[in-house]
Amino acid sequence: MPDDPAVLPAAPVTKVAGVTTGGAYELPVYPFVAPAELRGKMGRHAVVVVGAGLAGLTAACDLAQHGVPVVVLDEDDTVGVRGASSRGICYAQKSLEIFKRLGVFERIASRGVSWSVGRTLAGSDEIFTFDLKSLPNFGASEQPPFINLQQFYVEWYLVDRAYELGTVDLRWRNRLAGCAQQRDGLMLEVETPAGRYEIETQWLIDCSGSRSPLRSILNVPVHTEHVVDRWCISDVRFKTRPPAERWTWIQAPFNDDRAVWQHLMADDVWRLDYQMAHDANPEEFSQPAIVADRLRRQFGADVDYELVWVGPYSYRGQCLETFRVGRVFFAGDAAHVMSPFGARGGNSGIQDADNLVWKLALVLEGKAPEHLLDSYDAERRAAAQQNIRITTRTARFLSPQAPMDRLFRDAVVSLAREYPFARAFVNTGRLSSPTHYQGSPLNVGEGGGRSLQNIALTLPDGKRGDLVDLVEYAGYRVLGLVTQPVDRYFAEELDLLEEKYPVRFFRLQADVGVTSAFRTVVDPDERLAAELGCDGPSTSLVRPDLHLAGTLDAAGAPDIERALRKLLALT
Amino acid sequence: MKTDPTIANPDDFYERLLDAHRGLTAEQSAQLNARLILLLANQVGDDKVLAECVGAAAKPFTAQQ
Repeated sequence: MPDDPAVLPAAPVTKVAGVTTGGAYELPVYPFVAPAELRGKMGRHAVVVVGAGLAGLTAACDLAQHGVPVVVLDEDDTVGVRGASSRGICYAQKSLEIFKRLGVFERIASRGVSWSVGRTLAGSDEIFTFDLKSLPNFGASEQPPFINLQQFYVEWYLVDRAYELGTVDLRWRNRLAGCAQQRDGLMLEVETPAGRYEIETQWLIDCSGSRSPLRSILNVPVHTEHVVDRWCISDVRFKTRPPAERWTWIQAPFNDDRAVWQHLMADDVWRLDYQMAHDANPEEFSQPAIVADRLRRQFGADVDYELVWVGPYSYRGQCLETFRVGRVFFAGDAAHVMSPFGARGGNSGIQDADNLVWKLALVLEGKAPEHLLDSYDAERRAAAQQNIRITTRTARFLSPQAPMDRLFRDAVVSLAREYPFARAFVNTGRLSSPTHYQGSPLNVGEGGGRSLQNIALTLPDGKRGDLVDLVEYAGYRVLGLVTQPVDRYFAEELDLLEEKYPVRFFRLQADVGVTSAFRTVVDPDERLAAELGCDGPSTSLVRPDLHLAGTLDAAGAPDIERALRKLLALT
Repeated sequence: MKTDPTIANPDDFYERLLDAHRGLTAEQSAQLNARLILLLANQVGDDKVLAECVGAAAKPFTAQQ
């Protein structure tokens, strides 16, 4: 349906050279522009990002917002995976908070579909239902728990944003062909339709996906777990809509008692994902006639639909043994691959970028040592390992291999029909939630590493906003949130710390009426104070990626300075 | 993990357990046992105790350290 107005972007798109079709969608095509290096002009860049997917574009926009110019190399000239309908469809709250900071949340929210009800079924029985709105760990944020949207839309909005920011040099049809580590930088070799060129950069973020060429160029050891489970996606536009809910069948009668996913996306497109038998022929399973037959069994003989895209896939678990090799960082699928259950792949790539960018920006500004960047590997590799572990458990439940795995799965399903306790074992994907960096070397106190939700606040200028706005207000410096009294003497000490370190202090108080000479942030229901774990007078240090580094009880300036130095890897 | 007796009438329980399996196929018995393990595990609840019970049950089959 190429002229369906529903697939046109919500805001005017710049720099588009044309359109291409991916499935039934029209996608923008970006122009190839011969880079200056091809005309013999050499410059030294601060950061090159390889791959304009979710992780790469998040990193690029974020770097630009931190004032760091960035070059992005992408071998394609459009968004999404050419020829595929969509990969990721489900964006978690933490990612949405990051998108808010990058200025694309509103577009994502207006195009995407919010959902909160999930139903799990076995046969014709509903085993249990959840409503994310009633879960406390999602409720404090200004962003919803999840928004579903085709991945290429998210990438499209990020590309628009990158052009708007003006300091992102997007180089389409530029393929990385080589990378040599030098003493204080990297020399990259890039292939383009107009020839090869070399480009020098201080840092490189590899977001080029699971087939990253850099992994082999740099000989990074990879840990891989193969899985036999295989699925087939059918993206379908219905004339009559199913309910806007996430339905998962552990055993679907219309799919020979194997699992099925029914999830919604924008433009009235539904993702139906069918587990295949291990010996099924993927080509045959994806035939339009077979798909039609399955849809009739699922939705009734008179189902009226348009097939947007069909394709089989398999997955594996994969994790690099290090996410940093000298001046190269690996992020997103280039660093880790996992099964799709719980939407942990794309979301963790976005959070990889979020973790790395503020650190890299501080190092480039000379405000923190390069050693700070080691914490990217410590924090995000631990997050990837945790995500892989969680998704592997889901795969084991949904696709039991050993006879005993199957026996217990059946026991759980039969008990869950009757007893609430057994529903806790039903694992159709543990939905993506932010990783708390508990073991991080940057933690400085109580609650260290905890991811904070984007809580509504009143900013020092009296404007209503939220924690994300406060990070911007503070110019991406570390936030020092003070609930202890700030007298003139203490205020002077805090000012001195602000001069020495990339930190900005705010007095956090519940009551608007209390006047303070010091910059004040109002936390009306003390939700932020509760998240920070402030029991009494304290100072909390919050990182620009909204992870708490720690809350210090009634700390004096020397204690705060010591904590700041640890957080910035200065000690 | 408790290893001293806590069941007041062990013979009653043992008989009830065997009776529950009477007349079942091996597959049904296996299913009954799996259901029972999960139900009992929920009565215990405590992570550490459960881990110790799993470990003790697996002891004859785990490789000698």
